[in-house]
Amino acid sequence: MQNSPWKLDPWTLLLWAGLAVAGLLALYSTTHGPAVEYLSASVQDNFYRQLMWIGLSAVGIGIILLFPVRILRYAAYPAYAATLVLLVLSLVAGVEVHGTRAWLALGPFRLQVSELAKVGTVLAVAQLLSERHTRAGQDLRFALKAAALIVVPALLVILQNDLGTALVFFGLVPIMLFWSGLSISVILLMISPAIAGYLALISTPIALGFAVVFTGALWWHSERRYIAGLAATFTGGVTAVISFVLSKILQPYQVKRLLSFTNPGAEEFRQGVGFHLVQSKVALQSGGLWGTGFMQGPQTQGAYVPEQTTDFIFSVIAEEFGLIGSLVVLGLLAALLLRLIKLGADVKHPFGSIVAAGAVGVYLIHIFINVGMVTGILPVIGLPLPFLSYGGSAMLAQTALLGIVLNTHMRREDLSIYGY
Amino acid sequence: MDEYRTRVRIYAGVVLLVFVLLGLRLVQLQGLSGAAGDGIPPGSAVRSQSIDPARGAMYARDSTLLVDNKPTYTILLTPRYFDPSKASLLAKLLGVADSTVQHRLTQARERNAFRPVPSFQEVSFETFSRVQEHLYELPGVSYDVELRRRYHTAARAAHALGYVQEIDDRTLARQRSRGYRLGDRIGRTGLEHAYESILRGERGREFVLVNVHGTEVMRYRNGTKDEPAVSGYDLHLTLDHQLQAFAESLFVGKRGAAVALDPDTGGILSLVSTPDFDPALFTQSVSASVWDSLRSNPHDPLYNRATQSGYPPGSTWKPFMALVAFQTGLLRRGQRLDCPPGYRIGRRVFSNHRGKDEGRITAEKAIEVSCNTFFYKLMDEMELGTWHDWARTFGFGEKTPLSGFRQASGLIPDSSYFTRTYGQWTQGYTINLGIGQGDMSVTPLQLARYTAALSNGGLLPTPHLVRKAVHPETGRTSHPDLAPPDTIPVDSVYFESVQEGMHRVMTDGTGKWIQIPDVPSAGKTGTAQNPHGEDHSLFIMFAPYEDPEIALAVAVENAGYGATAAAPIASLMAEKYLTGTIADTWERNYWRKRLREEVRSGPGQDTAPEKPPPSTSPPATQVDARPASPPRDSTGTEASSR
Repeated sequence: MQNSPWKLDPWTLLLWAGLAVAGLLALYSTTHGPAVEYLSASVQDNFYRQLMWIGLSAVGIGIILLFPVRILRYAAYPAYAATLVLLVLSLVAGVEVHGTRAWLALGPFRLQVSELAKVGTVLAVAQLLSERHTRAGQDLRFALKAAALIVVPALLVILQNDLGTALVFFGLVPIMLFWSGLSISVILLMISPAIAGYLALISTPIALGFAVVFTGALWWHSERRYIAGLAATFTGGVTAVISFVLSKILQPYQVKRLLSFTNPGAEEFRQGVGFHLVQSKVALQSGGLWGTGFMQGPQTQGAYVPEQTTDFIFSVIAEEFGLIGSLVVLGLLAALLLRLIKLGADVKHPFGSIVAAGAVGVYLIHIFINVGMVTGILPVIGLPLPFLSYGGSAMLAQTALLGIVLNTHMRREDLSIYGY
Repeated sequence: MDEYRTRVRIYAGVVLLVFVLLGLRLVQLQGLSGAAGDGIPPGSAVRSQSIDPARGAMYARDSTLLVDNKPTYTILLTPRYFDPSKASLLAKLLGVADSTVQHRLTQARERNAFRPVPSFQEVSFETFSRVQEHLYELPGVSYDVELRRRYHTAARAAHALGYVQEIDDRTLARQRSRGYRLGDRIGRTGLEHAYESILRGERGREFVLVNVHGTEVMRYRNGTKDEPAVSGYDLHLTLDHQLQAFAESLFVGKRGAAVALDPDTGGILSLVSTPDFDPALFTQSVSASVWDSLRSNPHDPLYNRATQSGYPPGSTWKPFMALVAFQTGLLRRGQRLDCPPGYRIGRRVFSNHRGKDEGRITAEKAIEVSCNTFFYKLMDEMELGTWHDWARTFGFGEKTPLSGFRQASGLIPDSSYFTRTYGQWTQGYTINLGIGQGDMSVTPLQLARYTAALSNGGLLPTPHLVRKAVHPETGRTSHPDLAPPDTIPVDSVYFESVQEGMHRVMTDGTGKWIQIPDVPSAGKTGTAQNPHGEDHSLFIMFAPYEDPEIALAVAVENAGYGATAAAPIASLMAEKYLTGTIADTWERNYWRKRLREEVRSGPGQDTAPEKPPPSTSPPATQVDARPASPPRDSTGTEASSR
């Protein structure tokens, strides 16, 4: 069967371009607004730098589309190994930015290796899970292998002191296994410690309540005692450990800082992380329904929100374009993700569909944590907003992932030839 | 495949759910509470401004105000909002050249174009008022009122009160969790340091809404979220400011220290260490030249000789020797020992001052005439361990319980010290300890505490400077938790003998010329031998003899015999404290004049031989201040007559 370029999904490309433009608008406002003369030249250049990265990313999609899917599958493990090597390299010889050793200097550019590692990992896991002719995830051994593939780069990222990115990796485990057919009970089991941990930070009784209900529900659902035992161990254990650490090991001020996101308005947080949240929320509120207008946001133009071009870019959009603008951007993101799920589902071959599921997982975790942080429902964890935040490595890597999904979808008829 | 479809739907559902959640949150923040709920008009930002608390004041023993605060005014520029066409107006209001305003603006931009940067510090109240009246036409200009220390009496008491300075980077890194910020002021030494936590108070905070031009629009939520600053506690001290000022005047041109205690309570009546510094210097941003002169002074004015300097006690040690000899049975009351011109150990002879022979004398007489050979014999017969343990019982060789002050322990050697230092050693090495010379040192504070115990029959009081702390707003009062005095296990009859000897020093001995008119007293001179220069002059004293109200220890470096420098200072201080004045007699006038005009410390090596070389760190500036000096444990000069 012949490939035809007409099978390329235009909606995905349009949504991608729309998000990139929204990001550029926000970036332009922060770098060329009324405050421009008070910004250093390097900050002003950020806009053009990002424009260049977006151009490079577009070219990158084109290049990826040239490869037959077979090549991508062959390249999955080598790419994974290469990103691991790069991660180790960045640990040894990397550049430290904001306390995170995640960058490799390549001449004038700095490459955030962990962004590439996400692509390599998604490819490798998809390849592994698609080696089985049946739904591979049903086999627990494959599930464990896939989890191991994800955990190794995650640990290296933790060594880089980049907890946010590590969270993305850990979040991928249940998502990719779910898609590939692992039983729901096991998936729930995997994400239960995270939920219990979050609840334990807020209130120990609530976390314990969750542990009991969750264990009971899983027992009822799976009718297996060992599953229930594992559930009780996971949820109860995490709750106990976190409660113990909070009450016995950490100093009161450390606990307060950790919990500042639950009550960022409290006096003791006004200068620290919590204060960033207050300012970010104020920016959102300042925007109101219609926004203050392009380059008119007092929070944005006064640079009150820290990291407003990177992690907090959403607050710029929300302030200057209001609720309408922020919902439009959120809508574009949602449409893109749902479109990608659709593309993945259209691909009958597991490799293509698992890659799509993995890509959606990566984007979803980024969006949830980033917007959750900006709106103050999650702690401040430094993660960029896909396609919007300033940053070349993330733009390039996440667009490349998009290109791979587009490619597998475009050539979905080829896969059956090489696959089974 | 049906199951696969289900999973696709579940996944899409989860994605949708996340977006709906985030969208609802946005609606909640931007749509619902945006305009009305939080009272934030669209298009404004919240700016928080901190309000400095008033640092606690300090009051003297008689409730005279010693230190409180005065406001200083700083003009801040926010370059992002500053209107360049208003630069000349601002320059006119400030009374500076236009170029100065431009220069400060450039500096502020380099620091942070979006935040108010302190640009004109310590402007006068008049200047500040002029600028304040025109603030409405000066966008990007704001002011800050800071409280600085103000000193009210003639007494500097620099080493007791200590000084306050802008926090430096290293301290800030350590104390950030306690709420310290860049630009905060923190107690560096003395009481300002020791009581920092209660003097400081709590910072307040107010919130204002600013528009896109950074101009204040209104208060955030009508000021309901503002928090007023809470003042620190006022300290009521044991210090007698008149005595302190008088003592400081007597120390003109001398290096040394004096500590005067209330022997019953241990309250410090006066604490002098010279050379000293004017604490008011630190109320402004310390200029580089002032800082340099403080740091490069070879005698280090920031160094507290009263608590950090160790001196061999010399003959002021003899009362201790007599007491220990009595209590351990080496000597009976009234027992006479020879006081020959020399005392021989092996091939070496240790001799009396000017080789005098006093014949067979009692301990009282030995103290009165300060016979060395009498005490050499006692030391010869005493175990070094016994001597060491008793010295510790009298509070030597360890820091006194005056917490928060930099202190030296002093040196009270034991046998392991001598083995470590000299390898092989004999009685010849330790015999000097019997007359307070050789390898030992004590601080003036330890010596004053010992004198208090001599005066009251064996109660070693807890030295302290703070009687109580009172909160100026709530009136809440707290008293320091003082340990009860330590009881020295020596019979009171022995103390009476020693007191008698010290009384005779004043009536017939070396203190004859410095008696307080009409107030009987007791004292003992000491001369600490100093291989590096002229001897140090020491004196301990208490008065009135029958019911002591003041116990003093005075040390004057490189000033010769105890009787010529330290003794008259101690006597005049005691008289000033007890009678409130100095009697108009020939002797008293002579000593006053002589101390102020003639008695000077001779050249000598610094009391802290291990003093580190002058720091090369830059002087304190408005942003970046360094600690005064690292803590040091000085054991002082080791005088030796081996």
